[in-house]
Amino acid sequence: MVDGLVLIGGGIAAGLFGSLLGLGGGILIVPLLTLVFNLPLLTAVGVSLVCVIVTSGASAGVYLERRVANLRLGMVLELFTAIGALAGGLLAFILPENGLELLFAALLMYVALTMARRRDPEPVLGNATERAGEGTAEHVVDRSFLGTLSGPGYRIRHLRFGLVGSVVAGVTSALLGIGGGLVKVPVMHVLMGVPLRVATATSNLMIGITASASAIIYLLRGGIDPYVASPTAFGVFLGASLGSRIAHRIHLPVLRGLFVVILLYTSWQMLQRALV
Amino acid sequence: MTADPGHGQPADLDRSIARLLTYGTYGAVALLAVGVVLLLVKQISPLAGGPPFQPELVIDDLVHGRPAGVMWLGLIAVIATPSARVFAALIGFVRFGERTMAIVALLILAVIVMSVVLARGLEG
Repeated sequence: MVDGLVLIGGGIAAGLFGSLLGLGGGILIVPLLTLVFNLPLLTAVGVSLVCVIVTSGASAGVYLERRVANLRLGMVLELFTAIGALAGGLLAFILPENGLELLFAALLMYVALTMARRRDPEPVLGNATERAGEGTAEHVVDRSFLGTLSGPGYRIRHLRFGLVGSVVAGVTSALLGIGGGLVKVPVMHVLMGVPLRVATATSNLMIGITASASAIIYLLRGGIDPYVASPTAFGVFLGASLGSRIAHRIHLPVLRGLFVVILLYTSWQMLQRALV
Repeated sequence: MTADPGHGQPADLDRSIARLLTYGTYGAVALLAVGVVLLLVKQISPLAGGPPFQPELVIDDLVHGRPAGVMWLGLIAVIATPSARVFAALIGFVRFGERTMAIVALLILAVIVMSVVLARGLEG
């Protein structure tokens, strides 16, 4: 009984922090389940994949409804994230567990350092056309494939980088139980010329199919424990919903500073676990 | 077609997919919540280790009110919702005559099917 409530509470905390800081819950759920509940890493990753599908599904619906996410671009890229996730999902059952733990420790360190350097919170939701759409009157009809993937005020470039980045994001997602936005958003924004909030929303849309491609492998190979996955995913859903409602009342720089310390500590713990 | 089909394609498609995702996720989470309540009521520790996924036992678990049945149903709904979204997009693209995007959607579904086949193959 207590364990169930603690898992729900942990899920709420992961969903809340993830939502407030613009991260998927996966980065928090895997350390929570491995370091606090002492579960095997593969079980934690399987549970985390379920959680990221839940949070992605709820928010991607809103992004699409508000026309922030670019459905076509997302679908072209998610074909490649799904291929990467398929490969990563198979690889996860072959690689030694401490190898994956080392990878996760490195990921936590990277996210902590990235977050420490970040200055301003990035607003994601909103009307996609409010700024980008200013130039629509001057739009030239573009029937090329890249043209059909582009949106108001921006044109997609360097699609091949996006495809390669998507495969990498898919493999990372499947191995570590994260959404892969850490790879997809910079690739879309910096290399492909997609506005940041469209990139974030489109990445969010893609998470569902990416994580489900590998979650299927985890499910069928016994990597998902329903007793752990259900309370955690339910908690994450509640936490993420709460986070989106209170985000405007939270002083983010303080929260971010605290979070950087937690991530660094968790990275150290994960490193120790890998080296034992 | 304009240069911004991501936002200029028939609006119905984006809206239908958005609703499918939202309702699918809410439905799946509701099933998980029922499973969690059953788990708490029956005082089963989640850390005791849940039963492995055996599709043929899900109905039996449901009939006998075991938490695992409704939990597996919720987890399957969670994992299947993104594929349902791609399938809905496929229908939309076919209806609007967008052949390239329809092929992309089909290929995504093929990768998902391949995940099932490979995972099942490795099981044995």
